[in-house]
Amino acid sequence: MQRAYIRAQMGEGLFTFFRAVVIILSLLFVIVPLVWLFINSIKMPLEWLSIPPVIIPSKITFENYIQLFTNPYSDVLLCLKNSIIITLAATTLSVLIGSLAAYSLTHLQLPFKIVPVLAGMVLLLGFYPKITAVIPYFVIMRNLGLMDTQIAIIIAFVGLNLPRTVWLMMTFYEELPKEIEQSAMLDGCGPWGRFYKIVLPLAAPGMAVAAILSALLCWIEFMIASSLAIVNAKTLPIAVSAYLQDKGMHWGPMSALGTLTVVPVIFFCIFVQKYLVRGLTFGAIKE
Amino acid sequence: MAKRNPFLSETILLLLFLVPLLLVLATTDLYPLAFSTYLSTTSWSLIDRGASAHWVGLSNFQNVLRDTIFLDSFRTSLKFSLGATAAELILGLIIAYMVVGESKTMRVVRTILLIPMFIPGVVVGTMWRMMLNVNAGIANYLLSKVGIPPLSWFSAPGTALPSTILVDIWYSTPFVMIILVAGITTLPANPVRAAMVDGASRWQIFRYIMLPLLAPIITVAALFRFIGSFFVLDHIYTTTYGGPGFMTNVMSFHLYRQGLSHFKLSYVAAASWLMIGFSLIVIVVLTAIRRLLERSAATG
Repeated sequence: MQRAYIRAQMGEGLFTFFRAVVIILSLLFVIVPLVWLFINSIKMPLEWLSIPPVIIPSKITFENYIQLFTNPYSDVLLCLKNSIIITLAATTLSVLIGSLAAYSLTHLQLPFKIVPVLAGMVLLLGFYPKITAVIPYFVIMRNLGLMDTQIAIIIAFVGLNLPRTVWLMMTFYEELPKEIEQSAMLDGCGPWGRFYKIVLPLAAPGMAVAAILSALLCWIEFMIASSLAIVNAKTLPIAVSAYLQDKGMHWGPMSALGTLTVVPVIFFCIFVQKYLVRGLTFGAIKE
Repeated sequence: MAKRNPFLSETILLLLFLVPLLLVLATTDLYPLAFSTYLSTTSWSLIDRGASAHWVGLSNFQNVLRDTIFLDSFRTSLKFSLGATAAELILGLIIAYMVVGESKTMRVVRTILLIPMFIPGVVVGTMWRMMLNVNAGIANYLLSKVGIPPLSWFSAPGTALPSTILVDIWYSTPFVMIILVAGITTLPANPVRAAMVDGASRWQIFRYIMLPLLAPIITVAALFRFIGSFFVLDHIYTTTYGGPGFMTNVMSFHLYRQGLSHFKLSYVAAASWLMIGFSLIVIVVLTAIRRLLERSAATG
C-alpha cells in the first residue's frame, strides 16, 4: 500500500516536470521568433545578414523604422492609412448589418422552414474557398470602375465577415430571455424598437466579440485585398509582401514593418483575450 | 380605421432587416459564384471582356484535370494538409492538456500561446523566411550550437515542403489548442472523478475516458485545420512562392498565380469548383465521423 502511494506520488511529480517542460518549450517556440523579429528591426545594416547571425546588436538603431516612412519609394504610410480605414469601416458595417439580420433570422416566422434554411445558407457562405470568388469579384469591380478603391475592399470584407457575425449574433440572441421582449411586445413595441432599445444593449458583448474577430480578419487579410488593390488601396499585408519581393534582403526595414504589424495584434490579444476565446470556441462546442 | 394585421407588419419589418445582408452577400458571394459557374463553362477571355465567349461545356474541367501541374499541386496540397493537420492535432492536444486551468498563470500562458494565429500570414512567412535562411538565419545557428549541421529549409526541394509545414504548425497550432482547451474544460466531471476514486493513473484517465469524450471535438478541429490548410496562401506566398521549382506549389497558390498573373480565368473558375467539390466531400466525411463519435461517447 505504501509502495503504491509512493509510486503514485512519483508519477505525479514526473508529470508535473513533463508539464513544465512542455509549457516552457511552447512559450519559447512562440516568443523566440517574435523577439528575433524585433531584434532584427533595430540592427544596423551591416549586422542584418552577418554569418553567424548577431543576437545582441552592437548598436541599436531605429533607422529602419524611420526609413519605412521616409523612403520616397515606400508607401507604408498609405498602406497603414488604408488598412485602418478599411478595417474600421468593414467591421462597423458587418457588425451592424449582421446584428440586424441575425435578429430577423431569430424572430422571423415563415412557413416551410424557410428561415432555418436561409440561416443555414448564410452560414454555409462562410465556408467555401474564397479563391472561387476572387476572380469574378475582380472582374465585377473592374466593370464597375471600382478597381483599386477602398470601397471595393470594404464591401468584400463585409461579405467575408457577415456569415460568421450573423451566426455569432444568432447564438447570442438565443441565450437572451424571451420574457423581456414579450413584455415589450405587450406594451406595443414594434420590432425595431425591441431590437434597438432592448436586445441590442443586452447583446453588446456578442457584438464586441463579433467586432473583434472581424477587425482582426480585416487587418490581416491578404488574398482578396491584393487582387483588388494595385496602387491606391493597398493594405498593410500587401506592403509586407511587396517589401519581400522588391527588396529581398533588406532585413532591417522588413523586420521593422513586420514588428509594426505584430505589436498592435499583441496588445489587442492581451486586452481582449477573454472575448476572443469566447468567440473562437463558439461553434466548436455543443452546449 | 381598418385593423392592420400586426403579424404581417412585423414580418415585413423583419424581412426589411434582412435586406442589407442579402444585398452584400449577393454582391460578394452569390453573383461571383454564379459568374464563376459561367466562367467555368465558357471560353471567356479578359481581353475582349467576354465578347467572344461561347459555351464549351465541361471542357474547361477536362483541361484542368489533364493539367499535370494542377494534379501535382493537388498532391502537394494533400501532403501539406495531412502533415500539418496531424502535427497540429497532436501538438495541440498535448499542449492543451498541459495548459488547462483557471489560474492566472495558465490564462497568461494561453494568451501568449494564442498570439501566432493572429499575426498576418504574410508577416509569419517573412519572419520564418529570415529565421530559416541557410546562412544568416538563427535556426541553423542554434542547430550548430548543439552540433547539428545546417539544414537547407526552404532552399532544397526535399526540405521545402516540411519547412512550410513547420511554419503552419507555428501559425495554426494555437487554434487547435484553444478549441481543445475549451473541449477539455467542458468535459463532464463525473467520469473523471469516478476513475480517480477507482485509483486510475493520469495516463489511464486520459486514454480511456478523456480521449473518447474528446474525439468529436478533435474531429471538428481536424476538419477546420484540414480545410484551412488546404486553402492556405499567405505564408506560402512569402516563404517559398511555390518553389523551389514547384515543390511547394499548393493548390490555392497555383490557382492564385494562374488567375492573377496569367489571367487564365476559366481555368481557375473550373479548378476552384473542383476544389469546392473536394472540400464538400471532406466536410461530409468528417462530419459523419464526428456524429458517430458523439454517439459512442454518449453511450460509452
